[in-house]
Amino acid sequence: MFLIFLALPLLFLFVWDTGIAFQDNGQEKVVLELKLPKPMFVGTPRNIRSANLERVTGKKRGPFYVPEGTELLSLNKPVTGSDTAPVIGELEFVTDGEKSGEEGYFVELGPMVQWVQIDLEDTYSLHAILIWHYHSQARVYRDVIVQVSEDPDFITGVQTIYNNDHDNSSGLGIGKDKEYIEVNEGRLIDPRGVKARYVRLFSRGNTSNDMNHYVEVEVYGTPVNE
Amino acid sequence: MNKKAAFTALFLLAVCAAILFRVVRLDLRPMHHDEANQAVKFGELLEKGEYRYDPIEHHGPSLYYISLPFAWISSGKSFVALDEVTLRLVPALFGVGIVLLLLLLKDGFSGSAILFSGIFAAVSPLMVFYSRFYIQETLLVFFLLGVIAASWRYHLSRTWGWAAATGIFIGLAYATKETCVIAFGALFMGLLLARLFTKEPLGEKPRLVHGFILIGSAALVAFLLFSSFFQNPKGIVDSILSFQSYFGKAGEAGFHSYPWPYYLKMLIFSRYGSGPVWSEALILVLAVIGSVAAFNSNWLKDRSPLLMRFVFFFTFIATAVYSLIPYKTPWNMLPFFIGIILLAGNGAAFLLDRSKNMAAWSLVLAILGVGVFHLGYQAHAANFRYYADSRNPYVYAQTSTDFLNLVKRVEDIARIHPDHKGMLIKVITHADEAWPLPWYLRGFTRVGYWQDVDEAGTLEDVPVVISSIDLMEKIQAKFQETHQGEFFGLRPEVLLAVHIRMDLWKKFLENRR
Repeated sequence: MFLIFLALPLLFLFVWDTGIAFQDNGQEKVVLELKLPKPMFVGTPRNIRSANLERVTGKKRGPFYVPEGTELLSLNKPVTGSDTAPVIGELEFVTDGEKSGEEGYFVELGPMVQWVQIDLEDTYSLHAILIWHYHSQARVYRDVIVQVSEDPDFITGVQTIYNNDHDNSSGLGIGKDKEYIEVNEGRLIDPRGVKARYVRLFSRGNTSNDMNHYVEVEVYGTPVNE
Repeated sequence: MNKKAAFTALFLLAVCAAILFRVVRLDLRPMHHDEANQAVKFGELLEKGEYRYDPIEHHGPSLYYISLPFAWISSGKSFVALDEVTLRLVPALFGVGIVLLLLLLKDGFSGSAILFSGIFAAVSPLMVFYSRFYIQETLLVFFLLGVIAASWRYHLSRTWGWAAATGIFIGLAYATKETCVIAFGALFMGLLLARLFTKEPLGEKPRLVHGFILIGSAALVAFLLFSSFFQNPKGIVDSILSFQSYFGKAGEAGFHSYPWPYYLKMLIFSRYGSGPVWSEALILVLAVIGSVAAFNSNWLKDRSPLLMRFVFFFTFIATAVYSLIPYKTPWNMLPFFIGIILLAGNGAAFLLDRSKNMAAWSLVLAILGVGVFHLGYQAHAANFRYYADSRNPYVYAQTSTDFLNLVKRVEDIARIHPDHKGMLIKVITHADEAWPLPWYLRGFTRVGYWQDVDEAGTLEDVPVVISSIDLMEKIQAKFQETHQGEFFGLRPEVLLAVHIRMDLWKKFLENRR
């Protein structure tokens, strides 16, 4: 009996130490000890100070088909925004037709969720929306949400035509669209002919900093009565 | 208030400024790639008591051994419990030590020169920024200044104690960063040239025994540290063999190659994009004035010019050599910038001394005051606002603040995973895109790092996979919609993708609701 009492703690220690465990089906199993590779120690990485770099995607966007008579509606149309005093630039930059990625062509809104809104000054059938947030550096803008409405306050008749807020961190609902890396050809969104006068675009910072930027937004469509 | 009391009060103020700029919010900036490398290397020493000098990476061992007491106090022997503040406190306190060491230069520099050097060292954006950086540079500057200060005291006293102190500082500088030999060369040449251009009697001759004490103490300190306190005697040989590697790097600088005016341009004027203007030109201009003053016999009167001229020649040679080496990173400015700061202090003292009346003196003092305030303002902006912003010239290949969102996401997922921090994480990235993950994931027990997707094995069941962007296509082909992907910024232009197993992702979203 004494030997059994002595053996039990020893057996326990052995099991503990070697990782042997007994499963309920009676088959002996052992804890899988993974030998995972360690990180390599490497020297200081390249310092990149945002030159006018064009991100090579390998693939150009293919042709996008729209109804005949579709025209650019947003050029020089009024823009309002959640940040009435942008950190850099003016809200008018959003529709001024300048799409350069260089300094002086983008408007910078503050951190957290921010939006800009374009008033097309009439109701149109929308067939394409192109967005350039900031394309001189590879970065991803968070929670890109595009909504359209007839109501300038976006209280009634709001339709969401793009939403990549996959974790609902902006509080406008979970979106199924993918996040994307900014490139010089902009992000093309298909509004599928939705009728609206106002277009509101949301974002919540980016992978480089907390700020929100717009170089240009282009809205294409056709008049409703045509 | 007499002169001595005014000096004491103002110098204490400079020390307080140095402390405040260096120790407040040390956790603010995400760990840099290089800091994480050093931290993980230190972690091995902390937890296992193991250190083997690596002649290819990481530089000398002094940083790790000096970090030990800091870590013991804060986290015992636990690497997981260690934090950024504890690690960065090491260079931060050495940064404050640099200001205090200047006091040993009295009799070689005037009191006001030392005071202004102390103020510049305390508030210079460059000095402050890298005093908050867990790499070797600030320690190296402290030890190099220690060599200058202790050898100056030896010159005045001819005592064995200062000879030993000089040797200890030499040994510590060598055990901090092998490239200190560039500074040693500049110090040696500076001494020769200073003697050549200074016609004053040598005084009491140095004793041979003091020479042996100096060399012996330097060799002993270097041997103890490089040999891991006798555990790895080969370390001292490796430290010499490392020159091959470091001089190779200096010549073939790759993407760290910059033209010779890189450092001076950065110090005089920097502006990136819409960011603010950065300039430490005040210090440079005063350093030029201080250099000229070091050769002005009328101003020097009966004061020995030896130390000033020695610092001038050292600074000139070191600045030239570091500028001519193609391999450049902003922190490599520090070893010669401390000389520039000393000369700038001398320049400020010269301008005040040469002011003929109270009005001129007040005007000079006011200009210096505004300049110091501007330096302090920039130091504040560089360290508390633009600390990870590439519009700050001293931010170099810095980890983005967005990277902390990645870490938070992984921790959130671990919280809902049954194994918590035992959750399997596979990191599949290019070698230089893995850091600083090993530091931030140090609390996770099952993290593997690969550079090749195929070598990483199966991925379908892995709770979290972190990958380089250009490996995404290959990784996603293995997933078949089993994972939710997200992007996070690692550094400017460098993104990482995080793939979270769908069941965990859904549970995470449910918990958020």
